[in-house]
Amino acid sequence: MAHREVLAEPGSRVVMLGNVAFARGALEYGVSFASAYPGTPSTEITEALSYASRILGGPYVEWSANEKVALEAAIGAALTGIPALASMKHVGVNVAADPLFSSAYMGVEGALVIVSADDPGMWSSQNEQDNRWYGIHAYIPVVEPAGPQEAKTAIIEAFKLSEKWKHPVILRTTTRVSHTRVIVEAGEIDIAKIKRKGTFVKNPEKYTLVPVHARRLREELVEKWEKISKDLSQNQVLNHAEGNPDSETLVVAIGLGYRYAKEILATHGLLDNVRLLKLSAPVPLPKSLLLNEAEGREKIIFIEEGDPVIETLSKALFYDHDIRAKIYGKGTGHLKKTGELELHRVEKLLAKALGLEKTYYNQSVIKPEIKLPPRPPVLCPGCPYRAVFYALRRAVGKARIRPIYNGDIGCYSLGVNPPFQMQDTIVEMGGSIGLANGMAHAQDDKVPIAIIGDSTFFHAGLPGLANAVYNRSPMLVVVLDNRTTAMTGHQPHPGIGVTARGVEGTELSIVDAAKGLGVEYVKVIDAFNIAEGEKEFYEAIEYVKKERKPALIVAKGACILLALAAGRRVGVYPVAYRVNDDKCTACGLCYKAFNCPAIYSKDDGKAYINELLCTGCGECAQICPFDAFEPVDEVPPEWLRLMREAKPS
Amino acid sequence: MKSLNIVLSGVGGQGIISLANVIANAVLESGGNVIVAETHGLSQRGGSVIVHVRIGDVEAPLIPPGNGDLMLSLDPIEAARYSVYLKKGSMIFVDNNITPPPLPGIKIPSLDEIVESLEKEGFDIIVVPAVDEAKKAGNPLGANIFLLGASYQTSILKEYIKEEAIIDAIRKNLKKPEKNIEVFKRGKKWAEERLTS
Ligand SMILES: Cc1ncc(C[n+]2csc(CCOP(=O)(O)OP(=O)(O)O)c2C)c(N)n1
Ligand code: SF4
Ligand code: SF4
Repeated sequence: MAHREVLAEPGSRVVMLGNVAFARGALEYGVSFASAYPGTPSTEITEALSYASRILGGPYVEWSANEKVALEAAIGAALTGIPALASMKHVGVNVAADPLFSSAYMGVEGALVIVSADDPGMWSSQNEQDNRWYGIHAYIPVVEPAGPQEAKTAIIEAFKLSEKWKHPVILRTTTRVSHTRVIVEAGEIDIAKIKRKGTFVKNPEKYTLVPVHARRLREELVEKWEKISKDLSQNQVLNHAEGNPDSETLVVAIGLGYRYAKEILATHGLLDNVRLLKLSAPVPLPKSLLLNEAEGREKIIFIEEGDPVIETLSKALFYDHDIRAKIYGKGTGHLKKTGELELHRVEKLLAKALGLEKTYYNQSVIKPEIKLPPRPPVLCPGCPYRAVFYALRRAVGKARIRPIYNGDIGCYSLGVNPPFQMQDTIVEMGGSIGLANGMAHAQDDKVPIAIIGDSTFFHAGLPGLANAVYNRSPMLVVVLDNRTTAMTGHQPHPGIGVTARGVEGTELSIVDAAKGLGVEYVKVIDAFNIAEGEKEFYEAIEYVKKERKPALIVAKGACILLALAAGRRVGVYPVAYRVNDDKCTACGLCYKAFNCPAIYSKDDGKAYINELLCTGCGECAQICPFDAFEPVDEVPPEWLRLMREAKPS
Repeated sequence: MKSLNIVLSGVGGQGIISLANVIANAVLESGGNVIVAETHGLSQRGGSVIVHVRIGDVEAPLIPPGNGDLMLSLDPIEAARYSVYLKKGSMIFVDNNITPPPLPGIKIPSLDEIVESLEKEGFDIIVVPAVDEAKKAGNPLGANIFLLGASYQTSILKEYIKEEAIIDAIRKNLKKPEKNIEVFKRGKKWAEERLTS
């Protein structure tokens, strides 16, 4: 998606997603290099920068192969003296953790901001980790905007902080900061600045972390950390106190917590009664500011999104300085630790601490009695994966193996649900091949089947595959090559050739990569062809059983949404399918075992197709034993080609 | 402190997020403050979608349960699911078409059953033929804007958003703006006729 508003006229007020405001802030500061691997809720930052770069000719923007490479590239760029940005979702920081820790020892020349987009509530993630711990652990300051309203200012301040201390800075955002739209005022963008290039000046004592250098740098780092803490105590833009200086109560509101605190205090008319400490740069703990504000209070309340990170650090600080106020927060059990902050939850905490009346936000909620069906996300109508799962299941049945499906992270994770239930493990990106390596050797009678997407294959699949070849792990690897990183919104990746700046890149071949790593059995199949899939999967499984070595099949077929978008660009449209009522016997195979969301059952049990939802993939026509599905018109050959070859633009 | 909390709901792909964006831009044009919290990522693959739109003296992104003033929904099941976010007696403008979740062997309640259950809780339900009317107008994807038109006249939206601001926001933020403006007007007309008959 383009996010055109990132280039709004200077001085204008526009509605912007928090992530787009981050991109705008980075441009206004003069970011010259931006790398990222997509991941919800971080992706739109780089999408917006990619759009800006195409229009303005800068900054340099790339989708990197994974987060580790993205961060390494950004460190490299920052060492040449220019401001660099690396963006990723929270679990991406785990992948990038190795260079992250080192970067604090070396410091940077230009500036380096690392965006960590955390996902409390796990709207699209496998865990709820709070990456402010990384800041503490790695000695990297953390800036945490007070809501989307402060997104643009906060990233500019993060860059300034990094530039001033020649040190990396983590910008921690969360789903509700990144994916909330607010009104933002656009400032000036200096195009010369975002296009500038750097020069690397050698300094091995700083940039080569051999023990003799690292020991010295470690001493300097610990010293610098205290200085940055003092600096953050004085940074009035990010950290400041407001309200009644003499109140017995201090509310410490961190990041988005500030918005919740402020709205509730305003609702109760308490803004002038209590003391409110807003912390948008909480790590390293701005100790002197906190101590000044905490001194003499009776109650101190902490409101933060995620773990009780700042509460925990502050309590240790208070202990050392004999501050013995009553503490209210997540650590004390007054606020729920899991999930997101919400007004009624925060209000309950404040009500408890301040003795407020049962209030407006906590009024009773109405729940209608009717029983509602759940609506989980599903594979789209026409998704190539549905055909692949179907074919693979038939092949497995024919080969009479007891398969273990080591799944991975992508749209195919949805195969965990009925009717397929063909994801027995989903751990992290690349985990499919990784776990299969263990399962292959830990059991005798099973054939692990690793199911991995194309983007994930390049992200973290390669080392696992090298291991499988080296250690002769008998497994079938199915690479789902849908020509994109679909789940996060259709970004390109190394297997596509298209780059974030819109200029051509080199298209890597999954087949050549697998062969290059030494996989002897490598085949490509048409993902939309169920008979071919069944045959090839069966033969590959037989090979694994016999040879006790890995086999790899690339199932190639474009994400149908990508094909539809590519079709719209050139005026090619699919032809919907319909059910021939005379042929349909109401067997239910298509809506029970195959389950395309465009196919429904009528009262008589016969199938019918919602033409508005049908994407004309033709998969149903292949599975119906009675030949009841037919296209309503002739299917254009260009559409059939796009289904196989479409690419992100 | 004056504020309006609108809950938008539906199924991924129905245009709920672009509806929220039009409302937000219309609020901006009308000189107000607005916060829109969206659902992205996984839930967009045909999953259930809720968007929180908060207008006026507000700071935080999410509407707490029991505090929404108004709901616009493109699916009756989703309207019922997210009605917990509404205050007693709130208006719910909902399309009459149910998109059944594509799960093998589940029971789908009927529109009547849903409406009855919501009315029993004291909600004011207005069933709007948004999808059908948008199709008739040759703009099947304009159901979201028809719904906005249908709700504009009768609800508290008017107090916060000027009609010209909506037209302007459609023009600046949607593809095929003229077709969508037409659909907005048809929605308004539909509501006027319904009210007077
Ligand atoms: C370390 C890490 N980085 C990023 C993500 C976000 N993410 C979730 S699914 C996904 C897409 C994977 O793409 P692909 O393997 O091609 O599968 P597709 O979605 O196209 O089916 C990404 C990047 C993640 N979960 N973990
Ligand atoms: S977005 Fe593409 S890959 Fe994902 S479920 Fe839909 S069709 Fe399949
Ligand atoms: S052609 Fe058949 S399987 Fe494909 S989207 Fe249409 S109904 Fe579903």
